[in-house]
Amino acid sequence: MSGLSLYVDQGTYLNRLHPYTKLLYVLTAILVPLIGGKKILFAVTIASSILLLIIGKTLKRAVPLIAFSFTLIIVIFLVQGLFFHKNEIPLLSLGFLVFYREGVMYAAGICLNILNMLLSFAVFVLNTPPQELVEELEKNGFSSKFGYVINSVFQIVPQMMKTKDTILDAQRSRGMETEGSLMTRIKAFLPLISPVVMSALINTRERAIALEVRGFGRKNKKTFISERQKLKGDTVITALLFSLLILAVVWRVKSCL
Amino acid sequence: MSLIQIEHLKYRYPGTDRLALDDITLSIEKGEFIGIVGRNGAGKSTLGQAVNGLVPRFHNGAYGGKVTVSGVIAENTPVEEMCGHVGLIFQNPFNQLSGAAETVFNEVAYGLQNLGFPAQEIRSRVEEVLKQLDIWEYRERNPFELSGGQMQRVAIASILCMRPEVIILDEPTSQLDPQGTEEVFRVVEDLTDTGITIIMIEQKLEKLAKYCDRIILMEGGKVRCFDTPEKVFSREDLDECGVEPPAFTRICREYALTLQDGTYPVKLEDAERLFREKGVSPEKDAPAKIVSSGNEEVFRTSELDFSYIRNVQIFKGLNILLDERPTAVIGQNGAGKTTLVRLLKGLLKPVSGRIYFRKEDISGKTVAMLADKVGYVFQNPDDQIFKYKVLDEVMFGPLNIGMTEKTAREESLNAISLMGLSGLENVNPYDLELYQRKMTAIASVVAMDTDVIILDEPTIAQDYPGKRLIGNMIRELSRKGKLIIAILHDMDFVEENFERVIVMAHGRILMDGSADEVFAEDQVLAEARLQKPYITALREILGK
Repeated sequence: MSGLSLYVDQGTYLNRLHPYTKLLYVLTAILVPLIGGKKILFAVTIASSILLLIIGKTLKRAVPLIAFSFTLIIVIFLVQGLFFHKNEIPLLSLGFLVFYREGVMYAAGICLNILNMLLSFAVFVLNTPPQELVEELEKNGFSSKFGYVINSVFQIVPQMMKTKDTILDAQRSRGMETEGSLMTRIKAFLPLISPVVMSALINTRERAIALEVRGFGRKNKKTFISERQKLKGDTVITALLFSLLILAVVWRVKSCL
Repeated sequence: MSLIQIEHLKYRYPGTDRLALDDITLSIEKGEFIGIVGRNGAGKSTLGQAVNGLVPRFHNGAYGGKVTVSGVIAENTPVEEMCGHVGLIFQNPFNQLSGAAETVFNEVAYGLQNLGFPAQEIRSRVEEVLKQLDIWEYRERNPFELSGGQMQRVAIASILCMRPEVIILDEPTSQLDPQGTEEVFRVVEDLTDTGITIIMIEQKLEKLAKYCDRIILMEGGKVRCFDTPEKVFSREDLDECGVEPPAFTRICREYALTLQDGTYPVKLEDAERLFREKGVSPEKDAPAKIVSSGNEEVFRTSELDFSYIRNVQIFKGLNILLDERPTAVIGQNGAGKTTLVRLLKGLLKPVSGRIYFRKEDISGKTVAMLADKVGYVFQNPDDQIFKYKVLDEVMFGPLNIGMTEKTAREESLNAISLMGLSGLENVNPYDLELYQRKMTAIASVVAMDTDVIILDEPTIAQDYPGKRLIGNMIRELSRKGKLIIAILHDMDFVEENFERVIVMAHGRILMDGSADEVFAEDQVLAEARLQKPYITALREILGK
């Protein structure tokens, strides 16, 4: 499978759902807690995203994403807990470091938001093939040339990475040092980058011809061959997600009155 | 009226002053299989691209004359419209994949989708061509993960499903192994039965001669001759045009065996018949190739284990000894040839076991440490070229391994002359043709004056004069006591230039011996899916 796409076909129900339904889930999961304004809502959406990741058999693959965000989360807790401008009530002291309640609460808000966004996006990205999303967008009038650019990135960039490895080997074979001091690495830059760029340009030219002879420049309407049956679940879930959004707005308006 | 008519066609690429096509007039009938031959740079690809309108519509440049296909004038018709009449397939299978489809099925459907055909029709056409080309089973696979031969068949399928009247194939097999080549030729042969007109540019003349109705011989942008393969390959001026006649024609010419019309045969069957009628058998040439200086040990591996992915073993307990004899490593793609030479070069490290170079254990040495001892020419010259002058590019390696400026320059000029690039020292390598860039890459390694030179597919994209230069280089360096190891798919080239041949399949060495010994072993060749050199095959048939 292409190296850049995080999607792996697991044959699950989540895989089969329409990309728009999953996109609406992302939107709902992010907006409902923000509109609702209660931290408990974050807990609900985070829990539901984790549940969906488990159902989609993708939790394991989401772990690196979450682990990466933890670095950011720790920094936020440190900075806000120690230095938030509204800090008043001390919560915890470690030697000379004093964490304040206000700062910690503020940091918790930000971190819940980050985690919520990440997890809901993970549900989408890990369960939707990029080509499928692009095709659906194209069907709705998105430019097919732009669509090509997005699709080809997923296929062609990994191939370029392989080319880069070959070039590295070719130059090392001619006695070029690629590891060591900063100066050595700077010296190695030109012999590596020139062939990468040139071979990409040569390939692009050939690929342009290949696309041209297959009607790429044609202005008529493109045909789509994949038959995407809208699942019953798509309608039900879309309706449910919309009602949640409306409910959140109504709740917020009511609580403001 | 003929299907394709070309009248007084002249064309010059932008920014050049030489005519790439110079006053070409010819016509091709529906259903013909036409071959185009000539040296690199003779204008073969340009002529092909003029038929489908890429010249001049994509490339621009100065254009005169007229090309019509099925009554449509190529110059005035947009390429995307012309592609319904004329399909084009070229060398590099990888670059022909659109990059927009994640399955073979969608890749093949891509062109029809762009042209706006109804979905049902697209599905049935794609199914039809995938089955016709025997790649239906790969329909759900990612096209980028296929082998070269399979990828090239996908490229042919992608064009075929658009049902063009003419298909142009521009050296479609040059980057394929023997089996991939055979796959493509078989498919193209079947196509001619369906009434499609084929124009094929190809360096594998034995194959071309076997299938073509007529052949266009080109030189310097002009058509020298457009006639039957027998007539074209019997011409006296072939050498002048940088074309070596097919093996069967050469051998019959040597024995003065002609067909009734005075031409020499181009096919195995005809050559066989003539030899039988005359009651002679072709003698084996004197072994002019044995030239290496000694049999001293250069490389030795001991119980070598290697795998790229854990539990998927490529080599298990491999033991091999390489001496100074020029050695060819042959076998199908995936046999382990490249892995073996990369281990010798130090680009890969063995999982266990030892590699000795001149009796010294090099298993732990880095590539840079071995750079002054073992040279390696990569398959694609564009993977290494980065300087603006041929001479600077060639001097890069010698300077890296510590030669003085003066020695590096001397070695480089010698290497440049050996590879036939004299006079081009100050040219930008990117302005050279692919075959010249390949020679530049070989020169840049030869100039490092290493004990060993490893060549990965040196004959790809080379015409006859190019192959002759590489053959001379191998002899010259062997004579100086250097070990030449080459991975090759061209069996005739192997037979002519190598003393020792190693046959590999599935990470094992099936056979190791002289070219004669190896090519006499039918069973080994069958297991490694290799073919015999043409003359050896003829000699065997006659001997039976």
